[in-house]
Amino acid sequence: MNDDENIKKFARFIAEYASFLLGSGVHTSRVIRNSSRISESLGMKIHMTTFQKTIILTVTDDEHLQTHTEVVEIPGLPINFEYNSELSSLSWEAYDKHLTLDELQRKFQEIKNYSKMNPNLIILLVGLANGAFCRLFGGDVWAVIIVVLSTMIGFYLRLKMQHKGINHFIVFTVSAFVASFCASSALLFDKTAEIAIATSVLYLIPGVPLFNGMIDILEGHSLTGGSRLVQAFLLILCIAIGLSGSLLLFQNSLL
Amino acid sequence: MNFTDIIIDGLLAAVAGIGFGSISRPPKRAFLYIAILSAVGHALRFYLMKGLNVDIATASFCASFAIGSLSLWFGRITFCPVTVLYIPALLPMVPGMYAYKSVFALIKFMNHLKDSDLAGKYMQEMFSNAVVTFSTVFMLALGATVFIFIFPKKAYSMTRRAN
Repeated sequence: MNDDENIKKFARFIAEYASFLLGSGVHTSRVIRNSSRISESLGMKIHMTTFQKTIILTVTDDEHLQTHTEVVEIPGLPINFEYNSELSSLSWEAYDKHLTLDELQRKFQEIKNYSKMNPNLIILLVGLANGAFCRLFGGDVWAVIIVVLSTMIGFYLRLKMQHKGINHFIVFTVSAFVASFCASSALLFDKTAEIAIATSVLYLIPGVPLFNGMIDILEGHSLTGGSRLVQAFLLILCIAIGLSGSLLLFQNSLL
Repeated sequence: MNFTDIIIDGLLAAVAGIGFGSISRPPKRAFLYIAILSAVGHALRFYLMKGLNVDIATASFCASFAIGSLSLWFGRITFCPVTVLYIPALLPMVPGMYAYKSVFALIKFMNHLKDSDLAGKYMQEMFSNAVVTFSTVFMLALGATVFIFIFPKKAYSMTRRAN
């Protein structure tokens, strides 16, 4: 059943599946586990090596003593946990119901085309979240309102710039600068202005890569984990540079 | 600190968890549980730090341990992998303020290189902030992941819908 053509087709599917998962911010061991589960359901074995930007995988079919190797680039997609849970579900469905490759491909495309959350709603939620954060750090009502508004402006700008495909580091520096620039208006009439400025950029902190990196390291994938942490560290550096820009403009000193 | 403070802390953390979580687009059915997890975790850490004077890393570990154990239960209800539930819930506890204070201390250190007293002070500030950031993030990740190590079979089959 598993002739040469079939094995190639399957390897290409798994390569796309795995790189898509890794690109949308899933930790390494889950990607490997899901991919092996699908392969097992079709009577094949895979061995994967993952790096920050590429995956190398070999599919073997013990019955026919055939192997095929694929190297794929990992796309830089926005983090998406819905793909994480739906595609993990798909791997169990394949395992339990023994889906054919065509069915798998069709369902994979269906999940990829899922309706996305309204970006305006996300902007509002992020604004409120950062406002709640400002309150947690002891900001008063005015500080909270200013933080909500400046976060929404900053996050809107971040989405727009990411959509245009501008370099990640520039996006983070500019968004941090703009959000803290807007939050600096609190200096005019507020006693807790410093809290407002300091919390206005917290929505940018790359929490998901930080945790994924730590989880990867804890599970023994130190190489991918380490590179995720390095990326997260560089983004934090960019946030600090953007924030220090408006601090130096308005206060002539850092926090 | 009284009971209302803890409740308010939990509610604010729930708003923060939903908002920061929504950036990474979790499935809609997970939002309620993410809110509960963030509230429980953050309120527990708040109580430990303010009420019992526990340090931030240990308190974070206890909080994420609680989040990890609950997410194992919630994962079964929502058919979501545990990481989809607990990573957004941990986001409000990331010590972002310490992270960029560390970078500021680095900038100030470079500005005062010639004054050895001030340079030493900023060097120390940079290191202490960096160590707090790193150990807190590490403890947060560890606390929630410990459950995957203890119950691997259970944690890996959350999204299995059949049976």
